[in-house]
Amino acid sequence: MGSSVINQRQHVGLQKLSALAGITHSSLGPNKKYKFIQDDTSGESALVCSCFRIFENLELTCAVGQLVYETVQAHQKVYHTGSGCLLFLAGAWSRAALECLQKGISVSHIISAMSEGMDICLDVCRKFSFSTEGLGGTQSESCIATSHGLGLLPSKKPPHLQGATNVHHKTLNTSGQRKLKLSRHFCEAKSENVSTAQPPPQPKHPDIAHIAEGLSHGCMDAMNLVRKASSMQSKTQDTGSSSFDVTKVVTCVLPGLPGESADVVPGCIVLLSADQASVAHHLKEQPLKVALITGDLSDTYCHLGFSRPKGMQHVSDPLALLSSSKEEKWLIKVVMILLNLEVNLILVSGLANEKVIQCCCKHHILVVDKVKASVLEPFANATGAVPVTYPTQLSKHCVGTGVKAVIWRDLSSHERKYCTAVHISTGGNSGLVTVIITSCVQGKLQALEDQFWACAYRLHHALKDKALLPGAGVTEMLCIHHLQTQAEHHVKHSIEKSGDVLKTRTAANHHRGVVLQLMADGLIDYVSTVMVNTGRISKIKARTIVNQQLQDYSGHVGIAAKFSQLFLEEEKEDTVVALSVKSNEAPAVKIYDNLSVKQEVWRKALDVVFLVLQTDAEVITGVAQKSENLMLL
Amino acid sequence: MARRVKKAPSVCTDLPLDTADVCAKLHLLRQLLGSCFGPTGRLKQVHNNIGGHVVTTSTSSVLLPAISSSQPFVNMIKTSILNHVSRFSDCGLFAAVFCLALIERAKRSALRESVAVKVNRHLLGLCTRYLQREDCGCKVKLDFCSIHNLITLARSVISSKPACVLTESETLHLSKLAVQAFLLTVPCDNPGTVSLGKTVTVPVEGHSVLHSAVFPGLLLGITDVFCLSKVDNLNSAPLIMVLFSASLAGDLCELGDGTIEVHPGADTDSQILDQLLELGKQAVKDEVKLFVCQKVIHPVLQQYLKSHGVVVIERLGISLMDPLIELTGAQPVATLHTTIPAKAYGKVRGLSIRQFGSNTMLHLHPYAESAICTMILCHRNETMLSELKVVCQKTEHVLRLTLREPFALLGGGCTETHLAAYIRHESMNEVTEIASALGCSQTEYLIGVEGFCCSLESVVTALEHNNGNSLVDLTHAHHWTLSADVMKEQMEDSFAFCGCGLVQTSSSKKWTYINTKYTEFAPAPLSRDTILQPCVLDSFTAKLNAFQVAVETANLALDVRYIIQDVN
Repeated sequence: MGSSVINQRQHVGLQKLSALAGITHSSLGPNKKYKFIQDDTSGESALVCSCFRIFENLELTCAVGQLVYETVQAHQKVYHTGSGCLLFLAGAWSRAALECLQKGISVSHIISAMSEGMDICLDVCRKFSFSTEGLGGTQSESCIATSHGLGLLPSKKPPHLQGATNVHHKTLNTSGQRKLKLSRHFCEAKSENVSTAQPPPQPKHPDIAHIAEGLSHGCMDAMNLVRKASSMQSKTQDTGSSSFDVTKVVTCVLPGLPGESADVVPGCIVLLSADQASVAHHLKEQPLKVALITGDLSDTYCHLGFSRPKGMQHVSDPLALLSSSKEEKWLIKVVMILLNLEVNLILVSGLANEKVIQCCCKHHILVVDKVKASVLEPFANATGAVPVTYPTQLSKHCVGTGVKAVIWRDLSSHERKYCTAVHISTGGNSGLVTVIITSCVQGKLQALEDQFWACAYRLHHALKDKALLPGAGVTEMLCIHHLQTQAEHHVKHSIEKSGDVLKTRTAANHHRGVVLQLMADGLIDYVSTVMVNTGRISKIKARTIVNQQLQDYSGHVGIAAKFSQLFLEEEKEDTVVALSVKSNEAPAVKIYDNLSVKQEVWRKALDVVFLVLQTDAEVITGVAQKSENLMLL
Repeated sequence: MARRVKKAPSVCTDLPLDTADVCAKLHLLRQLLGSCFGPTGRLKQVHNNIGGHVVTTSTSSVLLPAISSSQPFVNMIKTSILNHVSRFSDCGLFAAVFCLALIERAKRSALRESVAVKVNRHLLGLCTRYLQREDCGCKVKLDFCSIHNLITLARSVISSKPACVLTESETLHLSKLAVQAFLLTVPCDNPGTVSLGKTVTVPVEGHSVLHSAVFPGLLLGITDVFCLSKVDNLNSAPLIMVLFSASLAGDLCELGDGTIEVHPGADTDSQILDQLLELGKQAVKDEVKLFVCQKVIHPVLQQYLKSHGVVVIERLGISLMDPLIELTGAQPVATLHTTIPAKAYGKVRGLSIRQFGSNTMLHLHPYAESAICTMILCHRNETMLSELKVVCQKTEHVLRLTLREPFALLGGGCTETHLAAYIRHESMNEVTEIASALGCSQTEYLIGVEGFCCSLESVVTALEHNNGNSLVDLTHAHHWTLSADVMKEQMEDSFAFCGCGLVQTSSSKKWTYINTKYTEFAPAPLSRDTILQPCVLDSFTAKLNAFQVAVETANLALDVRYIIQDVN
């Protein structure tokens, strides 16, 4: 078995981390670039657009790569957005750590200084976050439909930023004083808008359309789908407030249709064969009774944990050979049960036998299999059906009512068997919505689906946190400013004291200043990379702009507005090209970021850097013979 | 005929410690383990050559099993340390580094192996007797009336593993939880023999460490959301529960291999199912509210029970069986072909639902006084979480050891430097008698003593990974660390503490670098009326045993004359 020891000054692990992060620079920010990943041996290729998918398709052989992949995967599973930022900052901060090591700062100092830096950044996030309540003002449905009817006041300072200026003087609490400020604007908004207004003293429900727009980060189409899903869910919830339950959203990917067919429907969409489609046609307009089966619908299915002993032999009766087989008997029994209970529709989470499907079709019972659990559950709740494992368990208590099935679209082509899309819904009260994602380019479908989920989860987290951060790099700029201020403070402190007090303290302070400055540089790098990705600025120009803004900031409170505007001007040009609907007088689109996602991403990026920084050797087991660069034990 | 290879003769190596290969490997092992030692230690990534899961750690209990050497010598040392770790959990790295340092020093000093062995043994006895004295200068008596020392001890163990990446507040939170869990597992008023309970650890990934918590009773994961609505109103009176260790899946799993003949018309599945439903009917009749099975439960039985308002938990797993039995007093029913006897039922005080991210858990509140508790451990990522889990189990073990011997040793290297000074001083007395008793010359004895003390001090220097310097003060013989750009002369003017936090700098003290010779002195006891509390403590039992294991293993290694290896 072998292990290798690494020279501390070079720190190969950190270099590897920085190199890995370099892969995903172009998938940062609202302007992501697609990449092709090709496998030389098998010739397969994948079209990817997000950091997470890039990593999924790469075969990483180094231990650092494994650690990074595991972190990105774990983050993606919970948050569905932000992996690109995570990886970028891990790379940027590992470069910072490398520089510190080369300057001779010890690992412990680096860790404690970077932890202090992280505390400062997280604090900035907390301080500059603002509540989602009361954002944007009231608006009618028609306003949402137009692209710039965002309910923003055509005034010089948009409401949320005016609130932000107050933050500098008072600590932010997401209730109380802030609300008063906003509700005054609110009254102004009411007088100008024709839309129906709600009385101000009530706790404001978050304005989902406005928040969604701010969180779209360049994926307007995907976010529009999210907004439609949300408004559809709100209609069904019947409480009058807008809400968004991401657990009840399901995607259905249909290749071949043009992108504009993307739509949102309540209930679910399933792809069926021609026979099943004809049954569905027969059943349309009828209220259907539904049975839900978890597991497979076949005579040989056994629930998980049930094992058949291998040595079973059945002594058969000579007469028994003439009668029907076990499978047929089972089929007859099941169909009898279904007909007795007047079940028209069966949703199966596992697989259904061909014979079963055909037999049921003959009796005008529609069998749909491979239904996801996230669909079964809302159906169960909305229709009163109880899911069972075996069809023989069905009784009248288990059957649900009120389901409708309608043919949505016929996608026949000669190569596909399952070509008719059928829409099954519970009359709109389940909260379940299906988002149909389509594209003419099959390779793009996964990317489109990912973008949809990223937008959906950004909205979900915003509503869960009940808070948002100013987007378009504003939060990062504020963090950079605070980090740089603290760095200067440390360095000044160390110079003053170097005379009499113990040198360790001053050296440590000086080091802290250096580390904080390098951390701030990492964030500057992030902001400038996002700007470079728009394709209109060079890296040098981007950094110049950023540094200029930072210099102007000190003391000047309204910088947040200015910086945001800078971004937006570029964005506006972009969207003019893309949508060509906005007029020149449209108020600037407000861009937001999620609070919890950003904090988590920064914290996780630093975790990875700390783990790699403190690792100085790999212990490789199972190495048989000597190879170079390895020391054998 | 099977392919046969001629049996090659065994290989015999004599005086293995003289071979360069073995020495190089031992040196490498010492560097490897020494670099992981202490709270500023470095991490190692352990993985297989082919690929697969990567473990990042600095714990000896994870590292050592992954190391297997082609040299049986190295394996012998590794096994000995692992044995210690499996019994005491803590101080594995200390034992390994100390043992390897002793071997290296003995070789380097060219002392005869037999003499080195005898001197080591004598000095071990000296240390052990000193450490077990009442007035030992590096021992702290744990006061169980105050929580402070226990938390310090827990904190020292938790912060010794940097792979957990914990902030100060997180470390403190976890230390408090560890002590809380430990106290919950010590039963209070049970008559008769007292046995400690168990802490069940449930790891939850993706959440902040500050969300970790300890609950008395058990938390069981449930996946089935359909039964949840019926749970909340069951919090008033004690609830009856039943526990099955047999499989209720409805299959004939116990029958093994061999053929079974089934006659026509006989349906084994439905017969077993009928039997299961009989069990269910009896449970409902006896007002059972919680039905738990170690293995799978048939869906039909589940449906029946749920429709009668019974909470069903299946697939409990063997590791939770014992804690559940102890918590509820239930006796597991091992077969389904019986009526459930009344004394098999257990009791819980109540049930509640707890949510941790996407995990939904059912909390069983204990009915009678019980020593079972559950610790939910959260951390942001899997690597850090698995290290944290190992560390928490270590902490629990260390806290339990304090019940055996309610002492702790000063940490941060102070005990080692203190012992080294003590040994050097003590060995000045009666040199001639001891030397003749051991059968060696006085010079040899003194060389052996110096080697032992230098080995102790090399363990202390292994604590420092940032190019700092280690110092010893010449009054109490405690350990001090200086960063690289500071001179030792500036110590008097500074405001600093020793490694364990008990001694403060003052103008009357003098220091010397740790590897320099100093005139022997008896380390002065610390004044009784100091208000300072130690901030780093080590487990007394674990460290003492680690000491013994290290010296005995080193002696064994020095004693080995021949290695005979079978080649094929």
